[in-house]
Amino acid sequence: MNDEKSPETKMNRREFLGLSALGLGISLAGARPAAAARLPAPDDVAILYDPVKCVGCRACQMACKRWNKLPNESTDPLRIYESPRGLSAITWNIIKLCRTEVGWHFFNYQCMHCTDAACVAVCPTGALSYDPMGFVSLDRNKCNGCGYCTQFCPYGVPHLQVANPLTGAAKSAKCTFCQDRIWAGIGGPSCAEICPVSALTWGKRGELLEKARARVTELRAKGMNARIYGETEAGGLHRLSILLDEPEQYGLPSVPKTPGLARAWQRVIQPLGTGVFGAILLGILGAFLFVRRKIRMEEVR
Amino acid sequence: MTVQIKGRPEAIAIQWIPKYTFVERLGHWLHTATFIPLAVTGMALYFPFLQPLAQGEAGLFLRMVHRIAAVIFGLLPIVYYVLQPRRFIMHTREFLPRKEDIGWLKAAPAYYLLGKHEAMPPQGRFNAGEKMNGLVMIVTWVAFGLTGIPMWFGKGVIPPELFRWLVIFHDLAMIVAVGMFLVHLYLAVAHPLMWAGLVSMRFGVISAEYAAEHHAKWYYGPQRAMEIWEAKKQEAAQH
Ligand code: HEM
Ligand code: SF4
Repeated sequence: MNDEKSPETKMNRREFLGLSALGLGISLAGARPAAAARLPAPDDVAILYDPVKCVGCRACQMACKRWNKLPNESTDPLRIYESPRGLSAITWNIIKLCRTEVGWHFFNYQCMHCTDAACVAVCPTGALSYDPMGFVSLDRNKCNGCGYCTQFCPYGVPHLQVANPLTGAAKSAKCTFCQDRIWAGIGGPSCAEICPVSALTWGKRGELLEKARARVTELRAKGMNARIYGETEAGGLHRLSILLDEPEQYGLPSVPKTPGLARAWQRVIQPLGTGVFGAILLGILGAFLFVRRKIRMEEVR
Repeated sequence: MTVQIKGRPEAIAIQWIPKYTFVERLGHWLHTATFIPLAVTGMALYFPFLQPLAQGEAGLFLRMVHRIAAVIFGLLPIVYYVLQPRRFIMHTREFLPRKEDIGWLKAAPAYYLLGKHEAMPPQGRFNAGEKMNGLVMIVTWVAFGLTGIPMWFGKGVIPPELFRWLVIFHDLAMIVAVGMFLVHLYLAVAHPLMWAGLVSMRFGVISAEYAAEHHAKWYYGPQRAMEIWEAKKQEAAQH
């Protein structure tokens, strides 16, 4: 089930495809491109979060709701305040209080906009896809509500807005990097634009990385164990963070593992089906033609 | 029943013996009528080239069809058990593999590809290949249920890691079941030696002559069937 195996499977599939080019339309199935076809480019857009600057005002959380017209997830009886426990179908950006070993921090959670995104790999509809600018966009019209993204994302980001749990009618929901703002040229992600203390900033990924490196040096000089999260994780995230402790302290996986299993599914299980059905259909076709000449119905009892 | 063939004065008498009950035949066809939509709607999510079918409202509809068909597909064996428990147990037992099934495997190419009846050792009410089909359908039915039900209701309840494996095993069950189904379909509708299968699944009966020839262990009993087969082999060797 691991990556070493996939080239071999691919070879077999390709050999097989040559064979079945005869016109078995099913062979088209092998055509899905490999999951992470690109590396994050310095020109990609990205968001950088600096928890040391964050004052926990939650303006980002509110701006996200306002721009995306997300309803109140009220947690008090008067329905005035909301303090959801985590990301949900109607909360795509959230500030949480984290108790790391070096003390209390705020931390902002949103989609990490992976370069090698499990959600894109498993999405059967193409609703989740890579925007040329690097972030992971979501087209709700294409989404059919299967919810695989909610189960494969290593960060637990997408959530289903369920209309009917029995029929499964639902739509996936997550931070889209404010794709509509970006596409319309209105500006950057509303969370980063509103942040009054520049804890969240957005811009070109290459420039943000440089900024993050300088900041890490600065924080280290002050004796903090600072590091960058997202430079290489999951192919390189488009939401970069500065951490002051191990990623696990923030509830982040230090090695986001899921893409392995997602890839096993896409690159082993799916071609396996293509190969098996193709081989069986070819075998049946061969048997049919052969048997037609060899066995005469008149002689069969 | 007698059949009058044009140009032949005498009527051919076909003696029919019962093979399947009404419940079994109805169950078989309902199984078919739910299995095919399940496979088609499932594959829309599985095969990348079917992506346009999986998108938006169309995809939502297919997923709903998958669930409706799954309920019937899942209940069928249970209904069968409730209505005809003894037949159910008898059938399931018959599908279990046995040592002599190897004989079928060895003879299968000559039998199925060249039509050599005499190469095949006597088979029971189901030959070893049909038994394999039955067994695969039972095992994958269990696998579809064990993986499909938590995939339906388990999101947010079961750990995501488990869900991921469930999808993979649901797919593996699909590959095995649909692979078997394709072979079954070919043998049932297109293979000349297997002509009697569709008749029995439609009318519930099998011709005595066909049963004696192809399911001798069931028709004559295991011992007598072997004796007849040995005798035939010896006779053939003398010539
Ligand atoms: C007890 C019966 C079954 C149940 C409860 C069941 C349930 C499910 C569920 C819940 C899904 C996920 C999609 C969704 O949430 O709508 C699914 C997907 C699927 N099912 Fe089933 N199913 C059953 C039988 C079958 C059968 C008989 C087949 C094929 C012969 C099949 C093939 C598939 C395939 C190929 C997928 C897509 C998996 C993928 O995306 O790779 N299922 N099923
Ligand atoms: S964090 Fe999750 S939802 Fe966001 S791009 Fe990565 S896999 Fe997809």
